[in-house]
Amino acid sequence: MNKTFLVSGFLFLVVGSCAAQDARQIVTEAQNRSRSKSQQYEGTLEVVGSSNKVSLKRWIYQRIGSFGASKAILRFTAPPEVKGVALLIVNHPDRASDQWMWTPAIERDRRIALQDRSTRFFATDFSFEDLEERDVNQYDYKLAGEDTVDGAACWKIESKPKESKSSQYTSSLVSVRKDNYVIVQIENYNKDKLIRRVHYSDIQQVDGIWTARSTEVYDPGRQSRTVLKLEKLQYNVPLKEDDFTLEALRRG
Amino acid sequence: MILLRLISWPYIRKHLLRWMLTLAGIVLGVAVFVGMHTANQSVLYAFRQTVDRIAGATQLQISAGETGFDENVLDRVQAVPQVRVAVPVIEAVVSTALAGQGNLLILGVDMTGDRGLRDYDLESGDAAVDDPLVFLAQPDSLIVTESFARENRLAIGGKIPLSTMQGEKRFTVRGIMKSGGLTSAFGGNLAVMDVYAAQKVFGRGRKFDRIDLAVSDGASVDTVARRIKALLGPGFQVQEPSARGQQFESISRIYSLTADITSAFALFIGMFIIYNTFQIAVTQRRAEIGILRALGATRRQIRTIFLGESVVAGLAGSLLGLALGIGIARVMTGYIGALLGEVYGIAQRADEISTDPKLMLFAVVLGVITSVVAAFIPARAAARVDPVQALQKGKYQQLSAGENRTRRVSAFIVALLAVGCVLLRKYHALVYVADALAVVAALLLTPTLALLVARMLRPLLKLLSPVEGTLAADSLLQAPRRTSGAVAALMLSLALVVALGGLTRASYDSILTWLNVALNPDLFVTPSESLTARDFRFPEAMVDQLRAIPGIAEVQGVRDARIEIRGTPIMFVAADVESLVRRANVPPVAGDARTMYREAARGRAVLASENFALLRGYKLGDMIDIPTPRGLLHLPIAGIVTDYSDQEGSILMDRSVFKRYWNDDTVNIFRVYLTSGATEADVKRRILERFSAERRLFVLTNRDVRRYILRLTDQWFGITYVQIAVAVLVAVLGIVNTLTVSITDRRRELGVLQAVGGLRNQIRRTIWLEALTIGAVGLILGLAFGALQLYFSLVIVVEDIAGLRLGYEYPYQISLALLPVILAVAFISAIGPAESVVRGSLVEALEYE
Amino acid sequence: MIRLAHVSKIFQGKRQVTALDGIDLEIGRGEMVSIIGPSGSGKSTLLNLIGGLDTATSGEIAIDGQRLSGLSDDELTRLRRDKIGFIFQFFNLLPTLSCMENVSIPLHLRGWPKKKIDERARELLDLVGLAHRMEHLPDELSGGERQRCAIARALSVYPPVLLADEPTGNLDTHTGADILKLIRDLHQRLGSTVLIVTHDIHVAENCARLVALCDGRIEEDRAGKLGPVSMGGKL
Repeated sequence: MNKTFLVSGFLFLVVGSCAAQDARQIVTEAQNRSRSKSQQYEGTLEVVGSSNKVSLKRWIYQRIGSFGASKAILRFTAPPEVKGVALLIVNHPDRASDQWMWTPAIERDRRIALQDRSTRFFATDFSFEDLEERDVNQYDYKLAGEDTVDGAACWKIESKPKESKSSQYTSSLVSVRKDNYVIVQIENYNKDKLIRRVHYSDIQQVDGIWTARSTEVYDPGRQSRTVLKLEKLQYNVPLKEDDFTLEALRRG
Repeated sequence: MILLRLISWPYIRKHLLRWMLTLAGIVLGVAVFVGMHTANQSVLYAFRQTVDRIAGATQLQISAGETGFDENVLDRVQAVPQVRVAVPVIEAVVSTALAGQGNLLILGVDMTGDRGLRDYDLESGDAAVDDPLVFLAQPDSLIVTESFARENRLAIGGKIPLSTMQGEKRFTVRGIMKSGGLTSAFGGNLAVMDVYAAQKVFGRGRKFDRIDLAVSDGASVDTVARRIKALLGPGFQVQEPSARGQQFESISRIYSLTADITSAFALFIGMFIIYNTFQIAVTQRRAEIGILRALGATRRQIRTIFLGESVVAGLAGSLLGLALGIGIARVMTGYIGALLGEVYGIAQRADEISTDPKLMLFAVVLGVITSVVAAFIPARAAARVDPVQALQKGKYQQLSAGENRTRRVSAFIVALLAVGCVLLRKYHALVYVADALAVVAALLLTPTLALLVARMLRPLLKLLSPVEGTLAADSLLQAPRRTSGAVAALMLSLALVVALGGLTRASYDSILTWLNVALNPDLFVTPSESLTARDFRFPEAMVDQLRAIPGIAEVQGVRDARIEIRGTPIMFVAADVESLVRRANVPPVAGDARTMYREAARGRAVLASENFALLRGYKLGDMIDIPTPRGLLHLPIAGIVTDYSDQEGSILMDRSVFKRYWNDDTVNIFRVYLTSGATEADVKRRILERFSAERRLFVLTNRDVRRYILRLTDQWFGITYVQIAVAVLVAVLGIVNTLTVSITDRRRELGVLQAVGGLRNQIRRTIWLEALTIGAVGLILGLAFGALQLYFSLVIVVEDIAGLRLGYEYPYQISLALLPVILAVAFISAIGPAESVVRGSLVEALEYE
Repeated sequence: MIRLAHVSKIFQGKRQVTALDGIDLEIGRGEMVSIIGPSGSGKSTLLNLIGGLDTATSGEIAIDGQRLSGLSDDELTRLRRDKIGFIFQFFNLLPTLSCMENVSIPLHLRGWPKKKIDERARELLDLVGLAHRMEHLPDELSGGERQRCAIARALSVYPPVLLADEPTGNLDTHTGADILKLIRDLHQRLGSTVLIVTHDIHVAENCARLVALCDGRIEEDRAGKLGPVSMGGKL
């Protein structure tokens, strides 16, 4: 679970941009507009399975530093079984992030060995790959047309991983709103098959940054949806580097 | 083929019973071969299957013998560029408190990365509970297989009581795996646990048992293995998962060998029985052969008929044996699985037998070959029958005096050669040659010796029953050819029984001696009921906690583990040598008692067990390279001692060395000595009271341990008793066969006896006494030859199989027990034939030809 | 001595065979009678019935006044042992025993003491002219000698009845004649009742009385043409 986790809902926007003239500029702009020094929110995650069963998780999320060199801590508050479990994510610009998990019941931290990125993130519909910070330079972009999502006019951009980049998806269709450069939808494909659709909604400006407060991932294969909602969202709050270390993780 | 149908089939049909008896030898041989091997293979297969299923997509496994290694090794391995996934594993077998479930194999894995190797295929039930995050957050989480859940009516959230280091704890089912690859491992009794929780539950500290890894696409497994080996040093094994099956095989080597010997023996004796039957069949069918020859059959055709019969017999016998063998395997697999699990401390779960077509084919071929070889000499004799003589009715073939002399002379020469081989024992293989020669000599001498013994027995028989006794003895004396086959079979079987009995006795005695000298603590504190299981371990802190308990004078912590030395897993025993020697001064087999223990205690040397030295070819003073996680440890063998810790040998080192080089201070077992005046019961209670709240442990008294070891020894020798039973059974078959054959052969003779006034009871008694005499002759020769066989067996067992010095001790008890058994069997097997004679038609008997 | 009344013997099998069909025959003490007939005429069956080796399907047989029907196997054996001596075509000597031992067997079976047995066996072998062959095995003897040995065995306790089944059938003419002469001598010297089954008319005519069988019935019952005057009997 890369740094990512927090990322969801917001970093997604980041989703690459670059190469193709217009398309890449649009994606880069989207990423730049979402940039902040730090972030804090309380997240609520709802998984609605195929049988309409709902499971709920809550956590408090804090991030320091911005894209490419950020650190984040996520502490679960609910349900009771996972309360106190915490994750520390340290992102690196040049390589995959390092992650640790603290489990209070056995009083142990552990490194999370994340090696298969198509694995689902803790029983949600996100895969670990969906949660990663994406390096814009590892994708090619092409403007694929225009679209309307939730009544807002969007650019529709096709992104494809470069050969050097391994991905479970062969291509993605990213919809970026023309008015505020917020990414509102991503459809991930393998060949012609839709693997996941991510839909961003409840878009508000918080501390000057346009943010989707609700992210819904739909997995057509499993007929399952996951909705992430951000509450008490704040940007650029004062946080200390010291609170993003292994010791801090253990302190709880 | 047509000849076979026209000539042989009617004969076989007429003597069907006798043929069945003849086949029995082959049936038994093949059955034992197939049965024991199939059982063995099923156990191995089950183990391999479990390894294989658990391995999933694992291409390489990294381990350090059984010792485990520090967590940081994982980081180093994951950093190797061509490694796609590398995950830690802890494997342990625990007993569940669920009724009828027995053991559960716990696979401790890191679920965050493990799915890259293994497909857990969880049932997507309640997504909230079936949640890896909960699974990781709650250390009581288990994922079980669908079949296990079904059998125990467990649903998600269900509880499973397991014994842990902290006593019995209830675990919660947090996931259920759908049937598929992984779930069939260990017979479905598999549960997945978080690896870090497993460290706690099994007292592993911050160590992993193993790392499973897969290489990146395009990378060569060999290259990666070499790279990791270089990275980690010689203390680690980097192997493909299948290598674990081979290790198991090499650890249980002695068991397989035992199975081989038994079946080879059964086949060998079976060969004699077949030889005997054919020999008699040829005599009996001389007239028929004569007619065939007169009608123009060539010698070759005659021989072909008999060899053809032997092929059919071998085939039929082998097929029956195959069926019986599979039956035996069904019965034995569970038993052997449990036994191997306990003796070697390696758990597997063999619920089903796996039949190997290659093994089956081999068994059938073996059976047929045995049969053909056995029939070869009789077939040749048949081909040589003179048609003119054969057609003269009422003429019998005689065993010529010349032939007898030739036999005696060759026996003498062979015996001389055997003695020569024994004298030249330095060349090791010669012992086997000598043994084989001794058997040949004994076989050659059998007719002569049988005659001699029968002659000696004659006065006794006469005393017993003047008329019938004399008749019976004379029948034997006059027709040695008829009975020598049975006597030989009986002799060999009984010799084997004596040899096995002697070996068992000697092993038992030396184990007892060792128990008395080396195993003298008053109490043993262990983390699991089984003394061989090493899944649970104690922390070192317990040493002091134990010492603090009143009544305890001394506590010795012992850690044992198998470590690979030159490719073979060898048992290492790490203990406080100084204290060990003070309490249990085991006299060395080689080396100076004072210096060797001092050197070992200082960590400057190790002590090797006698069997390790003998089996692996090490001598006193040799240097031994011990791979450790910190590199090769190069220590001399300062002394050689008797130790029965492991069949393949063991090495004793000071625990300080183990702690230093393996960075492991855990303990498998505490040896506890009491202060004078303290009672076992009191101290045991105190220990249990002291620790019952915080950890699971078992306190065994010296008597318990002794009983445990002897029970295991008994179970082990259970296999030997199977061998003995097979040997006796084969001998019995030999007697029954001979009597049946000999009675049919002599129907006319017995008819004449009746015609000239033999009463039914006289005839009966004659046959009975004859059987008893055969039994007695076989007994006397067998018990005598057994004394010789025991010598050879000891040499072979000592030097090649067990590496233990065993004393020569003739097993009088078994021998004495054999007397009534064999005589009774001989008598019982004579009842049927005797009745068939006295109830049969006299007229037919007199015309019989 | 031997009395047969309406004796029949039927062999059951796939095909029912009537071997003897209502035989009435009486043989007096000390008679020497031959029974002649082609093969299959029932002569061997008749001998087996008289010797108690086989039992009749119907009719009554009595030996020395003792009826055979209703006797148990052991009683039959005892009767055989005490009253009847057998001589076979193929001698039926035990190949593994010497002459002496072969002759001793019936005496052993009677539980005689060793010394007495030896004495008697020697005497018998002397009687049949085999004194010089006592320690020889049957294989080392000529056909005639083997038959002599067999005769000695049959005489072991000097039984009142001697039954011979083709005693010369396996011998050349000359030897056969010798054996026949021996039997005749013994008959005269010992006074036994002798019954010889043969298909050799020459042998048959040498007996005092000749009974011819055909298809299980007595075809002819007359005095032998060459037969010496018997000591008792009808002549």
